[in-house]
Amino acid sequence: MNISTVELMAPAGNFESLQAAIQNGADSVYFGVEQLNMRARASINFTIDDLEEISERCKKHHVRTYLTLNTIIYNHDLKLVKKLLDAAKGAELTAVIAMDQAVIAYAREIGMEVHISTQINITNIETVKFYAMFADTMVLSRELSLRQVKRICRQIEEEQITGPSGKLVEIEIFGHGALCMAVSGKCYLSLHAHNSSANRGACKQNCRKPYTLIDQESGFEVEVDNEYMMSPKDLCTIDFLDQVIDTGIKVLKIEGRGRAPEYVATVIKCYRKAIDACTNSSYTPEKVDQWMSELEKVYNRGFWDGYYLGRKLGEWSEGTGSQAKQKKVYIGKGIHYYSNIGIGHFKVEAFDINIGDQILVTGPTTGVQRFKLNEMMVDDIEVTTAQKGDDCTIPVDFKVRPSDKLYKLVEV
Amino acid sequence: MIIITLHREHCIGCNYCMEVAPSYFDMDEEDGKSILLHSEEKSGFHSHKTHDDSAFDECNYAAESCPVDIISVREN
Repeated sequence: MNISTVELMAPAGNFESLQAAIQNGADSVYFGVEQLNMRARASINFTIDDLEEISERCKKHHVRTYLTLNTIIYNHDLKLVKKLLDAAKGAELTAVIAMDQAVIAYAREIGMEVHISTQINITNIETVKFYAMFADTMVLSRELSLRQVKRICRQIEEEQITGPSGKLVEIEIFGHGALCMAVSGKCYLSLHAHNSSANRGACKQNCRKPYTLIDQESGFEVEVDNEYMMSPKDLCTIDFLDQVIDTGIKVLKIEGRGRAPEYVATVIKCYRKAIDACTNSSYTPEKVDQWMSELEKVYNRGFWDGYYLGRKLGEWSEGTGSQAKQKKVYIGKGIHYYSNIGIGHFKVEAFDINIGDQILVTGPTTGVQRFKLNEMMVDDIEVTTAQKGDDCTIPVDFKVRPSDKLYKLVEV
Repeated sequence: MIIITLHREHCIGCNYCMEVAPSYFDMDEEDGKSILLHSEEKSGFHSHKTHDDSAFDECNYAAESCPVDIISVREN
């Protein structure tokens, strides 16, 4: 097997997730700013003014940075497109992930590296050749099998297809996260039902609800696998990652800009270990079991292997929302960190916390920190429980900031 | 009086308000977001007041079409 290291690309919907991605071993991050990205509806999106800080934080850790600018673009968006690309170039981001030709053309004009978004739906080598005129990396369609992916990767080498940089074109595929019923996300359902276009980043996710299908002519209900007939389970490739890497892909993308920072932390940590294990020949079924049980704790709709192994369709989710085995409960916020003694001060604002609880702390600079609560104090007295209204101090090995939130993790 | 309000910070630039109520909305080519014509801005909310009754239906249609619910129309 030809195993070489692949780049692990993490989603970053906000600074918490960005930090979590960096802390847990991502090689690169992708993110949207303003409204021209596929998560425009998200309540928290980066702004153009955040680009410098994102770039700076990532450069410090040698993490590459990709701006997603991959929605449908209208005439009225063109000035903003140029403004965003100029800002991205100015902030020295690594590349832009693009779909529209206007974005691709302007990015090339100013010398910005282009990656072709999965929204373009690349499924064959001739299309790779075409986009090689503009792009060094291409995300293939999520609907290809690994056999098809491998063939495309091999042909790039055989035919020496190079991008504008002069290097061989690199292939990226999705490794983990949500899939949807539409081909390469080109979906009209949300727009049709709610006037809310998925292709402008405003997907209402109405496909994720349960439905019944009735033949109006006869009045009979059509039998389908389950009521979630339009909601596929989440993609998970960690249990056949050796085969994924063996295709010759160069980048493995993790979906989830709309998911929580602890999701990014867990998924990136598991895939980092899995990629490294594949690279140094220590990838074992026992390790896969451990990673799977970690992945099941965070948001998921159940897992399947997508279209990669060429199996028949029909892996539909078994409920609305997450099947995660763990959930977080908000407890309070960070107040101060006594760095000389390694003590964090928190204000408890909601539920109790108890010795033995699994604790999660997240923040824009702190990222994601998890630990077991072994000791804490309230009013300088050691306690086993802290309640709403209490100021508690906990020994921690990371800096606690006022922007941090304190949660406990409970089994579902 | 009819008061139309646009909270444009959260606009995703989808263009629908302008399509259904072109007398009241346009797209700003500088930032790609919707603008409420002849409006006054206060704390990020842009308001336009009119005595023209036809504005109610037209702008309500825009409000219903808005995927991010940033348009409101009320009679005073």
